[in-house]
Amino acid sequence: MSVNIGDPIGPWTMESVDPAAMRTTAAICRDPNPIHWDHDVARAQGFGDRVVNQGPLNLGYVVNMLLEWAGPDSIRRIGSKFTAVVQEGDRVVARGTVTGLEEGPDRTPLARCECWLEHDDGTRAVTATALVDISALAPVT
Amino acid sequence: MTEDELIALVGHRFEGGTYTIAQWENRLLTEATGRAALPDGLAHPIALFHASMAGARVTIGDILTLAGMEAPDGDDGVVLLGYDWEFLQPLREDEPYTMEGGVIAAERKTGRSGRTTDLLTFEITLTDREGEATGRTTNVWGFRRGET
Repeated sequence: MSVNIGDPIGPWTMESVDPAAMRTTAAICRDPNPIHWDHDVARAQGFGDRVVNQGPLNLGYVVNMLLEWAGPDSIRRIGSKFTAVVQEGDRVVARGTVTGLEEGPDRTPLARCECWLEHDDGTRAVTATALVDISALAPVT
Repeated sequence: MTEDELIALVGHRFEGGTYTIAQWENRLLTEATGRAALPDGLAHPIALFHASMAGARVTIGDILTLAGMEAPDGDDGVVLLGYDWEFLQPLREDEPYTMEGGVIAAERKTGRSGRTTDLLTFEITLTDREGEATGRTTNVWGFRRGET
């Protein structure tokens, strides 16, 4: 399998963002912000009746897409911006495209990728640029 | 917090230290992202977020305090604006990593609405038990201050 500029990556879909996963993540990350686990606070801050997903989880969906595409230890660098909130019960889809090909140290084949996490209405919640080791995908020449 | 006080945070260093991502911790976090654990003791890349902070001995609560926000409620709020994470080696479970870092940038922005947001950028570097560089994380946080 070869990799070419313009190739699509994904999709990877989270069918329904789970508030229990947010509570687990808040505990592991020692995140005291109650908008992730207290509906009253989320409501008071204008988010309605649904708690707000953590940024690391939103990025995690994009990461999962890249790992499924290129392998479990393939990500070399990822930069991201959080551009919209994701909330409890939302369906979000991670997608991406290959925008460049280059060689890393030891001639490791790398792909530059533009990635994003989108809501069903197309609103992007995360935009990301990743550098991914595609040794498992690209033929060694 | 005045703008001068904000800018003075640049150069603030975290205590630093070591952190080991436990297998159970990695599994719970990975499953929270909606996938099964990775093979061969690999940690999910997003573990870099909390592991780097834990190793550097800084919590999200500490960051709020540093920014002069005791609690993210009322008219103020904290938002994570973006990351830049570099993996020189894959993150692994049960590997003690040494972390060090601090505040590398601070900026005050005022929108057309008159609302002020302070931006703080944190950078933390990781090395493994052999002293080899493993990774680096740069996180940008925004602190909404209300109208000026």
